[in-house]
Amino acid sequence: MQHRETARPDGLTFGFLTVVDSPTHGVFGGYLVVDELGRPVEFHCTTPVKVSRAQQILYGPTLHGHLHGRQIGATLLAEGTTQPEIVLTDVESMLQVRPHTSLPVALVQRADADGAAAGFVIGAARVRPHDADASGEAAVRDRLAALGAAVDLCEPFERIRAAIDEAQRH
Amino acid sequence: MGDEQLGGRAVVRSVRRPDLALPGVAVMPPVVARLPQPVAVRLPLADVVVRPTRLPLLDVMPRVTSCRFPRAAATAAAPPPSAVTTAPRPGRPPSALDGDAPPAAGPRTRIAPPKDVVKLAERFFYLLQPDLETMLQAGRLEFPRQPFPFQLDGMAFLMPRHGAVLADEMGLGKSMQAISSIRLLVRSGEARRVLVVCPKGLVSNWTRELADWAPELVVAVVEGDPQRRRWQWSLPDVPVKVANYEVLVRDRDLVAELGLAFDLVVLDEAQRIKNRSSQTSQAVRGVTRGRSWALTGTPIENSADDLVGIFEFVAPGHLNDRMTPKAMGTAVADHVLRRTKDKVLKDMPPRLNRDERIELGAEQRETYRRAEEEGVLRLAGMGEEATIRHVFELVLRLKQICNFDTATGESAKLDRLKAELEEVQASGRKALVFSQWVETLGRLREDLGRFGALEYHGGMSTTARDEAIRRFRHDKQHSVLLLSYGAGAVGLNLQFSQYVFLFDRWWNPAVEDQAINRAHRIGAAGAVTVTRFLSVDTIEERIDEVLRRKRNLSDTILSQAEAPAASGMTAEDLFALFRLVPPARLAARPDAAAA
Repeated sequence: MQHRETARPDGLTFGFLTVVDSPTHGVFGGYLVVDELGRPVEFHCTTPVKVSRAQQILYGPTLHGHLHGRQIGATLLAEGTTQPEIVLTDVESMLQVRPHTSLPVALVQRADADGAAAGFVIGAARVRPHDADASGEAAVRDRLAALGAAVDLCEPFERIRAAIDEAQRH
Repeated sequence: MGDEQLGGRAVVRSVRRPDLALPGVAVMPPVVARLPQPVAVRLPLADVVVRPTRLPLLDVMPRVTSCRFPRAAATAAAPPPSAVTTAPRPGRPPSALDGDAPPAAGPRTRIAPPKDVVKLAERFFYLLQPDLETMLQAGRLEFPRQPFPFQLDGMAFLMPRHGAVLADEMGLGKSMQAISSIRLLVRSGEARRVLVVCPKGLVSNWTRELADWAPELVVAVVEGDPQRRRWQWSLPDVPVKVANYEVLVRDRDLVAELGLAFDLVVLDEAQRIKNRSSQTSQAVRGVTRGRSWALTGTPIENSADDLVGIFEFVAPGHLNDRMTPKAMGTAVADHVLRRTKDKVLKDMPPRLNRDERIELGAEQRETYRRAEEEGVLRLAGMGEEATIRHVFELVLRLKQICNFDTATGESAKLDRLKAELEEVQASGRKALVFSQWVETLGRLREDLGRFGALEYHGGMSTTARDEAIRRFRHDKQHSVLLLSYGAGAVGLNLQFSQYVFLFDRWWNPAVEDQAINRAHRIGAAGAVTVTRFLSVDTIEERIDEVLRRKRNLSDTILSQAEAPAASGMTAEDLFALFRLVPPARLAARPDAAAA
């Protein structure tokens, strides 16, 4: 799936994509686009997706990749109207969105998190590009430099979770 | 015997052995059992067409809610970091927010949407903003010092609100919180025209604070002759204008004529508009505005009506004077933020209170006794003609005698003050002395010349007052600043003073607190000692009792608790100072004049 919109207004933008697993409702997806100072430009969130037992059995270990990457991630990216420099996610299975978008995708984790080794560090965050973008790691690093100087790259995911929490209550 | 199975047929084969035959026993013939032929069952497996069941749930695309936020304005108002970075000022330590790294992971101050914002998209707008630490860092905002966490909370409270009362106790930095919030709103494009209205004596204080906390904002002070003011009001590209209350009252028609509309109006010392029918209140409420913020350390000075008056500006119609204190507390909960020093500044130097009970000298005591007896007799003789004004006049006269004997000039308080100031001066410290009367300040200055006493009161020009503050702040020869409650109790930052003396008492404890907090505020280097002079067995002691009863009213509403039995100064209170009963027509009327 290709990104629907290629408009690029003045200034850089960056996408943050994540999911929130609610035991009662299902899996919500959230996609926040921010400018280089971390301010919100656009936000999209999904209705919850519930997974049945049969689907768990049938998809097995590929379930989350399909659910997060194809069903939720690709749907959200398709709603975007600005083209970010890169899409960051804090959920490894969300990297599966990469085949459905032309945008580079990278995983962000706390630099001191267990098992976080590959990739490069910006501030307190470690960034690991999707394998498809691994050859362009230097380019990804350059794209993130401006944002990383102003914003903790793990922080926008907290905002997405707060907004999804609000949407559930609303 | 044995069994065999051949070709699907079971055969029982018997073996006869003659050697085992017994005589006389007949041998039975062998029994042969025949099993039925097996029947072949045809299973038509090859003919079945397998139909897999579809599980379509994962193919259902979730619905998406989308919000887009105005970006063009934000970009225009907030140039990239390199364009707004300014070098730290000489002699000023850089703020902890300076630097190239984003804020470290840890507690973050987030902007929560106010309760009256109900649209999900608008609530998203606030929830999705970066935390304040990130905003400040990302914008490379220079600060003279690192804001306290509670001050960031105050900014997060103000920024999303269209109607807000910041009612922090004096000294916690209300102006700094308002200025920083203005700064962020201007940067984000949410505010382009801001008006700050403050008492005349605080205009220079505001311009100084604006220069400190928002150095990149262009500020215009509206003052001078009418022609000049018209020009200043009309300036188009000035994001922040500062005017005093009197100017606004005078120019209310001009403001309307020019069609001025502000994105935000901030009122400092907003208790000035507690009286809804006053010209000041009407002028302020007449300004066209998007947001209305009120700053006051004393939102309730005398009665709950004070808060109703302020809310007529902040959120018209939100409160009314028929509400109980508890209902009012609930109604204002999301609009008012009040913090006290003991709650938010655990590490702030302590405030040490001392009530100095002064024994009047013999001559001063005699003058006082005679004046009170004559005054009481006169009041009693007036019967039903006695008014509150008559009582006030007597009270004021007696208080003046407690300060200085009108016959001899003797002053037990002054003697005590001199003794105290010796120590202050010897230790290289600074002291503030408050009085109700400018005349008293003048006499004190004459007698306190060796302490380099300076005056600060409403009878002086703004320039002269600013000069007095400057000299007191920077010149070691000046150990004492003499201030009137009216001019010196609000807005001044004198936290380099370690001693406060209340030479006489004001009617309202909140005003006294404001005076004390000129010194006991953020930045205070050490403990602040507050000395309140009380002449023994005089009207001052009796007033002190009334003030103690009044002190809890403000907390009652702001903490949503029940009101105490006594909450204001009534006619009964005033007449009772002299053990008199008020005339019947005054008996049940709360006395607002006691403010």
